[in-house]
Amino acid sequence: MAMRDLINGGATCAVPGSSSSNPIGALANVMFGTSNKAEELKGLPSTGVSVPESSPDFRPDIPLSAIPGSEFETQQSRLPDARSNDFLRGFHSTDHVGFADAWDDVQRPPVLPPPHFAGSEARFSEFERIYDAPPVQPTWDGPPQRVLSSVLHSFVDSGRSGVPLRPVALPMLGLSEGDKQCIRDRSCILARHIYGDKSEDYISAQVNTLLQSLDIDSSRMRGPMPGQFREMEEYWNESQGPLIRPPGMVNHADKWITEFNQQRNNDNPDAWAQSFEQQHGANGWASEFEQEQNQMALGQLRGAAAPNMAMMEQSRMLAHTLSQNTNPNFQNSQFLQFVSKMSRGELIIDDNQIKPANTDWADEYQAQHNAGPASWADQFGQEQATRGWASEFAQEHQLEGSVDEKWVNEFSSKLNVNDWAEEFSNQVAGTDNWADAYDQYLGDEMLASRQKPKSRGVYEFSALNPYVGHPNPLKEGQELFRKGLLSEAVLALEAEVMKNQDNAEAWRLLGITHAENDDDQQAIAAMMRAQEADPTNLEVLLALGVSHTNELEQTEALSYLYQWLKNHPKYGTLAPPQQPDTLFYNDVARLYTEAAQLSPEDADVHIVLGVLYNLSREYDRAIGAFKTALKLKPQDYSLWNKLGATQANSIQSADAIMAYQQALDLKPNYVRAWANMGISYANQGLYDESIRYYVRALAMNPKADNAWQYLRISLNCASRNDMVEACDSRNLDVLQKEFPL
Amino acid sequence: MESSLKSAALLEQMKKHLETDAGNELKEKVGLVYQLNIAPKKIGFNEEIFVVDLKEGKVSKGPYNGKPDATFSFTDDNFLSIAAGKMNPQIAFIRGAMKIKGSISAAQKFTPDIFPKPSKL
Repeated sequence: MAMRDLINGGATCAVPGSSSSNPIGALANVMFGTSNKAEELKGLPSTGVSVPESSPDFRPDIPLSAIPGSEFETQQSRLPDARSNDFLRGFHSTDHVGFADAWDDVQRPPVLPPPHFAGSEARFSEFERIYDAPPVQPTWDGPPQRVLSSVLHSFVDSGRSGVPLRPVALPMLGLSEGDKQCIRDRSCILARHIYGDKSEDYISAQVNTLLQSLDIDSSRMRGPMPGQFREMEEYWNESQGPLIRPPGMVNHADKWITEFNQQRNNDNPDAWAQSFEQQHGANGWASEFEQEQNQMALGQLRGAAAPNMAMMEQSRMLAHTLSQNTNPNFQNSQFLQFVSKMSRGELIIDDNQIKPANTDWADEYQAQHNAGPASWADQFGQEQATRGWASEFAQEHQLEGSVDEKWVNEFSSKLNVNDWAEEFSNQVAGTDNWADAYDQYLGDEMLASRQKPKSRGVYEFSALNPYVGHPNPLKEGQELFRKGLLSEAVLALEAEVMKNQDNAEAWRLLGITHAENDDDQQAIAAMMRAQEADPTNLEVLLALGVSHTNELEQTEALSYLYQWLKNHPKYGTLAPPQQPDTLFYNDVARLYTEAAQLSPEDADVHIVLGVLYNLSREYDRAIGAFKTALKLKPQDYSLWNKLGATQANSIQSADAIMAYQQALDLKPNYVRAWANMGISYANQGLYDESIRYYVRALAMNPKADNAWQYLRISLNCASRNDMVEACDSRNLDVLQKEFPL
Repeated sequence: MESSLKSAALLEQMKKHLETDAGNELKEKVGLVYQLNIAPKKIGFNEEIFVVDLKEGKVSKGPYNGKPDATFSFTDDNFLSIAAGKMNPQIAFIRGAMKIKGSISAAQKFTPDIFPKPSKL
């Protein structure tokens, strides 16, 4: 055991001879001998040493403390640093009495003599026998790849055996920042799977131990928000960084922010700026700007000419409308100028970017600002202070609206302009909405661009897959799936199908995994590949039928369910030899009813019937079919979920929750069932509960887009707008802390 | 409600949802009548018309008998996106993915939280 070697001066790190000549060993002895000092040491400032709640106790006549193995943790937490030594040395320089005491203790030989230590030695070996036996203790040498993989394995195994992870000293692995990032993120997700039943503190302690062993800075893990697109952004920056973000642009953006902040701090009472600040943080604008820069580079792939024309037309109308307003303040406002510039084509909007058609926008801004106090922000502030053209506008509008309803009607027939104004007046009431909507617009655009290929059934691979190069990723994937580590299984299986594109089994399992992970688009894409490789696989056909049913795609679902019957060795003969051009629901349902009569003991037929009745929204029949199937297959967790979902869709939420609970008892990491739980609570108006379940599901699969959207709605409904930002930035740390289950 | 639209499944669910306690709260909170003109592919073509009556707590097919508080036109997919919270109604409107007739203040209460969420098999 590497750990003890390290402490006692074993082969790997020791000064031969006595363990006391090894400073760390000496430290460990002190810790063992005077464990009661741990309490005193706990409160010392800036030590960086964390002392777990249960202080280790090694006196042989006293039973060992509650969690076996926690002793090792304690040791580790003091181990890895020269800081411990500094810390002890520091005792000299302080006058604090307690410190002096502690130092004396350290100076004395360990309170308990060597025989005691031998006693605990015996304990150790007993432990080793008990806890090391099932998982073979990995060795920490060999090529970095292997070392890394054994460390990760021991991490995973520690979840199975229920023993806290023991830290290890490793040779230099030469991990790149990207690798570290990847390991950090994945181990967090993984840990939530493995230790699903443990507390958040325990989980983070485990993850920290792992990261420490790998020399990864765990503090960044809980740093501010791993943004939604960070992975992509980083990847993009790595390869293209300098090209797409000329430093000048960023500087301009920064200046703008500084200026903006100054303006705000001066004397402007404008709540708008403040609320923007609150929402986005001081640098929110800049990061948004940066994100857009990235987006722009991507966006160039998409044609922009036609929307520009439309935009010019729209803004021309808008400018016209606005210029009708006789308020001089408003007439001179830069906002109006901005709109008219857009209408003249001097400014164009390219993929959410406002860009000058031929001049440098940032320069122009700079110049205008230098020209005097007429800067936009200034002006806005002044007007806001005196009266606020925005609210005036709103008032006027309301007045007009009530006096003359025709105004509204007239406009709505013209173009969308009036609604813009309408919306605008609304924004004045709720200042945050505008920024929100804009945020979401950006999000939508990104989502849309990401989802386009998905909806065409093209499978999207994850970036940075550590299983590439694994000798047998399929076996690994199957194993991970069996353990319930769905997000991890996805990666292993992706590695397999990248290597072996026609592996129907790998594609099938990948599809199943995505479905359980609550991602039907990816499930469909994977299953289509599975079907390509093996066109008559019944499980694949059924899974495709189910996923398309979930996506409400009736024609597709019907077609796959029909093929299931046709390819079934027993029921194939029921289907007419000539496949009809168009399938009618009633015909397919009739065939399955016949099949069910033919063999009422076949759970699969009842399952398909249940799915079919879902398609036709005959929920009571569907529930009956699934219940029949469950009598035959009571251990099928996905069947319990199907029953629950059907009950939920026919608004029997209380029953649904019981069914989901059955599914989760059988498979605790079943993301889909967690998400469905959230939906059932939300549909009953129990938003607080629903939030917790959504967050739980997302902790296990942060890529479950639906759950993010539903979470946002529930947060709004539960009046937890303070957490919406954490939701939008997909900051799971914050959300989990706020909404533990 | 025979229909070839995907939205029909959601509206069916909505119909039952309105009979529950949560549905009753919705009637109190919103209390408006919305007419939805849902097109399979393109706004204005082959539309099917539904009425979501949050005054009476009913969902029905066919135009409203009277003047709805607001009428929306969108495609099948876009309606589902809006109801699921994937697309912000205001943004949908700006993009022209949703057209509105009638009272704007009524339209502003048309938010994703009024619809129940479908569960997945």
